[in-house]
Amino acid sequence: MKFSVPIFDVKNLSFVLKEQTILSNISLEIFPSEYIAIIGPNGGGKTTLIRMLLGLEKPTSGEVRIYGKKFSHFKDWHKIGYVPQRASLIDSSFPATVLDIVKMGRTSQRSIFKPLSKLDRELVDDAMAKMDISDLKNKMVGTLSGGQRQRVMIARALASKPEILILDEPNTGVDVGSQKRFYALLRELNQKEGITIVFITHDIGVIADDIARLFTINQKAIICNNPKQALSCEEMSELYGIEAHLLHVHKHEH
Amino acid sequence: MFEMFEYDFMQRALFAGVIIAILASISGTFVVLRRYSLIGETLAHSALLGVAVGLVAEYNPLWSAVVFALLSAWLIEYLRSAFALYSDAVLAILLSGSLAVAIIIVSLGGAFNNSLFSYLFGSILSVSSEDIVVIALFGTLSLGVLLLFSKEFYFIAYDEEVAKTSGIKVNILNFVLVSVVAIIIALSIRVVGSLLIGALMIIPTIAALQFRVGFLKTVFISLTFSLFSVLAGMALSFHFSLPSGATIVLCIIGIFILSLVANRR
Repeated sequence: MKFSVPIFDVKNLSFVLKEQTILSNISLEIFPSEYIAIIGPNGGGKTTLIRMLLGLEKPTSGEVRIYGKKFSHFKDWHKIGYVPQRASLIDSSFPATVLDIVKMGRTSQRSIFKPLSKLDRELVDDAMAKMDISDLKNKMVGTLSGGQRQRVMIARALASKPEILILDEPNTGVDVGSQKRFYALLRELNQKEGITIVFITHDIGVIADDIARLFTINQKAIICNNPKQALSCEEMSELYGIEAHLLHVHKHEH
Repeated sequence: MFEMFEYDFMQRALFAGVIIAILASISGTFVVLRRYSLIGETLAHSALLGVAVGLVAEYNPLWSAVVFALLSAWLIEYLRSAFALYSDAVLAILLSGSLAVAIIIVSLGGAFNNSLFSYLFGSILSVSSEDIVVIALFGTLSLGVLLLFSKEFYFIAYDEEVAKTSGIKVNILNFVLVSVVAIIIALSIRVVGSLLIGALMIIPTIAALQFRVGFLKTVFISLTFSLFSVLAGMALSFHFSLPSGATIVLCIIGIFILSLVANRR
């Protein structure tokens, strides 16, 4: 895996805003087909890091390369699917059906003179089918539940046929039952479709068994290559800035 | 009822009105969805500054209105992006500034007259053949741009950052949209007037949004409301000798109230 070109190659990245250091000297790589969770305390710089990966913020120092290229030279944005934190908090009066939203995923790859092609329609239908929202396609998106909206946003990202999906706290506003199904869906996209998944989460307990790598961000980054070996108390304490204790829970098989 | 179609000036006014209704409602949909409703008012006042310059310079004010509205639109986008100022504050400053300079120019140039009044409130009598050519030319151009980039404008209105990360040239398209809106505003002030054009751009879309339907249906409903309001307003203006801008806006407000009541939950 590590011999391939990284999708993102971050070197010595720092971000200072109004004399406050948000990120300090972060270096990391994200390779194709990885399944990565990003955790850390609120205000620790997780979202800022993702925004820099996507070119939405400029670093104070350091560099991000995307598929080996600088942002100014990168053109294949359809390879990147992004689902922002507020995705499920949709303005309920916005005039959009589920189909309207998922079709947006094809916008950047369509010529300005061309209507939706057969391939575009197939990819839109396929994305809705994967997210199990085909029967909702004519519903107004503002009338859907948090979990359904979240699936619509991911379907929009999938419609562009991305190689990597970046999700910022995708479970905001979603009930606990939907969260487990959601993580299973992400894992399936990673394993069956080979899509690289990177997501910010606070649900470390829910995902610990599945993730391949864990980035813990609090100004600095701690890269954990074997998340099944839980972070030590010292590392957790350092990360969250409070004293952490491990609580062992014994599971019984029935 | 149909006698108004026998007059040349009414034919010109109706032609201009139909084009403006189409342009204002389609561009208005994007403006409202981007929560940029005040831009219409500001650009209308900048267009009025152009009218003042045109009147004093004894040049067709419609041309100078287009130029000044465009310059104002670009300045708004530049100030918004380069100085991270609040959008509504930028709009308020330019609105007042444009009006202040316009008043001084017409005052110094002695152009406070009926002609200026017609640009403030709209007049169906004042649409000339040259105006029709300007409206048709720029109107077709603006409509073409709106239709060509409608899917991009819609995406940006929904989520600007995701649109940007999907490879859409958001900054350029923002400039294109405000430029088109500026042209449409400038073209509209003959018929609707600079003080009232904002309403023609915004209210049909707000009324259409009450129906809670998808994007294309919203645009279609807004377009229907806009066309009906312009035609009904002009007919009322003709029969009762009232300023056309005011009658058109009252028709739109009537439709808005009906839409609100019909879709009450």
